[in-house]
Amino acid sequence: MAERLTAARGPAAPPAWRAGQSSASGPSASGPSASGPSASGPSASGPSASGPSPSGFSASRPLSLLLRGAAALAQRAVLLAVLLVAVFAAMEFLPGDAARSSLDRGASAAAVAARRVELGLDQPLWNRLLRWMAGLPTGDLGVTSRGEQVAEVIGRHFPGTLLLGGLAFAVTMVAALALAVVAALRPSSALDRAISGTSTVVAALPEFVVASVLVLLFALWADLLPAVTVTAAGGGPASAAMLVLPVLSLAVPQIGWNARVARAALADECTAPHVEAAVLDGLPPRRVLLRHVLPGSLPTIAAGAATSVGMLLGGAVVVETIFNYPGVGSVLAGAVRDRDTPLVAGVVMVTSVAILAVLLAADLVRGWASVRRP
Amino acid sequence: MELTRRRILATGGGLGVGLLLAACGSGPRRAAAGDGPATGPPRRGGTLRVGAVGKASAVNRDPHGVQVNDSDYLILALAHDPLTVPGHRPNVVPRLAARWESDDLRRWRFTLAEGATFHDGTPVTGADVAWSLRRLRATPAGATRLPGIDAGGIKADGRNAVILTSDYPNSEVPLLARLTTFTLKEDTTDVTRAPGTGPFRLESFRDGNARLVRNDAWYGGEPPLDAIEVRMFESPQAMTSALLTGQIDLASNVGPVAARTAEGRDGVQVIRRPHDMAMPIVMRTADGPFADERVRLALRLAVDREAMVRQVLSGYGTVANDVLGTADPAYATGLTQRARDLARAGRLLDEAGFDRRGTYELFTTEDVPGLAESATLFATQMRDAGVNVKVVKQESAVFWDRTWLKAPLYTTYWGTNDSVVFFAGKTMQSGTAHNEAAWKDEEFDRAYRKAVGATRGTGRATALRELQRVEYESSGYLLWGMADGIDLAAAGVGGLPKLPGYGRVQLERSWLSA
Repeated sequence: MAERLTAARGPAAPPAWRAGQSSASGPSASGPSASGPSASGPSASGPSASGPSPSGFSASRPLSLLLRGAAALAQRAVLLAVLLVAVFAAMEFLPGDAARSSLDRGASAAAVAARRVELGLDQPLWNRLLRWMAGLPTGDLGVTSRGEQVAEVIGRHFPGTLLLGGLAFAVTMVAALALAVVAALRPSSALDRAISGTSTVVAALPEFVVASVLVLLFALWADLLPAVTVTAAGGGPASAAMLVLPVLSLAVPQIGWNARVARAALADECTAPHVEAAVLDGLPPRRVLLRHVLPGSLPTIAAGAATSVGMLLGGAVVVETIFNYPGVGSVLAGAVRDRDTPLVAGVVMVTSVAILAVLLAADLVRGWASVRRP
Repeated sequence: MELTRRRILATGGGLGVGLLLAACGSGPRRAAAGDGPATGPPRRGGTLRVGAVGKASAVNRDPHGVQVNDSDYLILALAHDPLTVPGHRPNVVPRLAARWESDDLRRWRFTLAEGATFHDGTPVTGADVAWSLRRLRATPAGATRLPGIDAGGIKADGRNAVILTSDYPNSEVPLLARLTTFTLKEDTTDVTRAPGTGPFRLESFRDGNARLVRNDAWYGGEPPLDAIEVRMFESPQAMTSALLTGQIDLASNVGPVAARTAEGRDGVQVIRRPHDMAMPIVMRTADGPFADERVRLALRLAVDREAMVRQVLSGYGTVANDVLGTADPAYATGLTQRARDLARAGRLLDEAGFDRRGTYELFTTEDVPGLAESATLFATQMRDAGVNVKVVKQESAVFWDRTWLKAPLYTTYWGTNDSVVFFAGKTMQSGTAHNEAAWKDEEFDRAYRKAVGATRGTGRATALRELQRVEYESSGYLLWGMADGIDLAAAGVGGLPKLPGYGRVQLERSWLSA
């Protein structure tokens, strides 16, 4: 779902500050902005699309950023509401219902009917949806088909997923940037080609393949790391070592993807006039890269990272199952199976909010990166 | 849609790990020292780490609630005692009820075990048991859990007995008391904190995982283990990995794929519990293409039972003979074992005027391992007899809502297989609400009434033989084989359960070698 959100946000728009540059040094056709969804970050409505106003005085910039941020936030809230309506509708169209699946198979038809009333399933879809939404402002996410508070269920399981996803995200960004920088420092070298080639391959690997191979290598053969997660009394993994393989399984494909995006963004930025000027000034390559190239490619890298968040949370469902990791993924899978609409909607909502928050952060980075340049 | 794709990936992922595991012949083991099962006298002490399958979304802590997760049932069964438990011979043995008797098979008196107390030290009374049984009876599925016994028929009798009154003479009441007759204190409100009466006391619980410690005062004698830690696993594959790398000591009910993976490895015991799961094919008898008895017999003769056991169960199972309740001491071994006979099947289909041009849908689910595979192989085998069967895989929720009890041809599964009468009463006699094949047979009903209405002795034995003969000849079931229950255990774990079905939770005599 997350990928969809991002992918649906419109065609690639070159960062605005570039649009004002001379056509001679504009983004090259092979740059990331033309080569994929990586640069599709904020669309027309994003803060960076309209660019800094030409007459913008530096004092008014924070205010306009704030306003744009608020507008983006409002737009996303509407998007979230639409998404939740879609979830309710989709669950409605699936055959079977929560009354049946939360009872024994021996339950009588009368018992199923009574349960249906108890769960409010006899009410029309709109009534259930509105009642569920009415509870949202107070933090009431409704009750699961097994009688638990949805907020409690999510509260127990979502932190685990956030931890897993957060660590995987951090590992992804550090590794991807390091690889991209190493490759960009020696363009067209064997190392550059090796990194680019490998990252393309691993970006295409599904998480379950990575996970299976990692378990086989590091747990069953080498006996270095635990194969699965067992939970401690507190609910988290019993030891930190248990996080290593799940985090790597999630991160490896995303490292591949982000390394490619970052490498391309760096290459693109290298052709910018101010970079050329810096090189001609005789600055050392490391300094050129860190001071002049990296800041300029930050918007694209941020957009690429934002798309990864959705993939990471989506991939967590698979990875949690393989490693028996206690997260929200298995809850979501089970809730869909049981047609437990409030729980599905609740999980979708918190994950969407997390994803939207990151997308917003990415937009702010882009906005910031674009306004801080004249 | 995204969710579906993810779920498919998840399934594929599990499969991938399983295959990789299977491919990996030998690896490091951190299992306890020594090879093979622990021998010698049971040793006291130690913590057994047990894995069991469970879904985080379906965790249930109510002893009388809906049991979906193996892990939940294991925890409940260790902390609470049912009145009776499965045994080998006989198939019902005492637990919280030390003995039971009935003069007319309607009014049953269960006397509680001497010295039975709750974990907080208070003695268990007849009133507690009666209250708990009434609570069980009041659940949505209560009428099928205690058939023929309504709330009014459950009464305490003095301090240490309870009387159950059945609507009809029923020799199987003690067997029915094996299921989830867990006893709580009278008027318990918070069932998750309620003290149990079982061999282990719940020390902590979190998201389906639990730690239980020995109940030193257990009336059944002190268990050898200090503690049992139950770990919930989302998939059998993850549970297998955990056992092979020494993260757990016992993988309960882990399935044939795991057994194939672990077979031949040093330091891992593969425990087979025969007659664990029945996965029969149901042919609707009331109407539709299989209403003709000859068509049903033709299908029973067209199936290649050995191939089914070999391929669907990886050989971890036995061939069956279309009669359910294969582990019953009274199971009819005298009936001729049906084998594949395509020529005779063809003749029967012709005689019945069966339409071979039609396509017949066989509905199935992936609720238990091997079920959907059994449907696929069955369909292939039917083609040899000229019957075109098309497998339709359904999600569990859809299957139980729309297909079960209704479709002309579908797969079902049952986990209680040590009683012929249990199935007769629950799924075949004409009055039951869960007559899976919509089968009504007067001869069978007569035999059933005779069997449940007879005290032990020749009358009952004759009735049971008669009942099974009718079932063998004309019921709507095609039972091709019985799946073994499979547990994996590290070397050095002794005293493990050998019984099928719910017998797998009997860990009170298990122990760890040093």
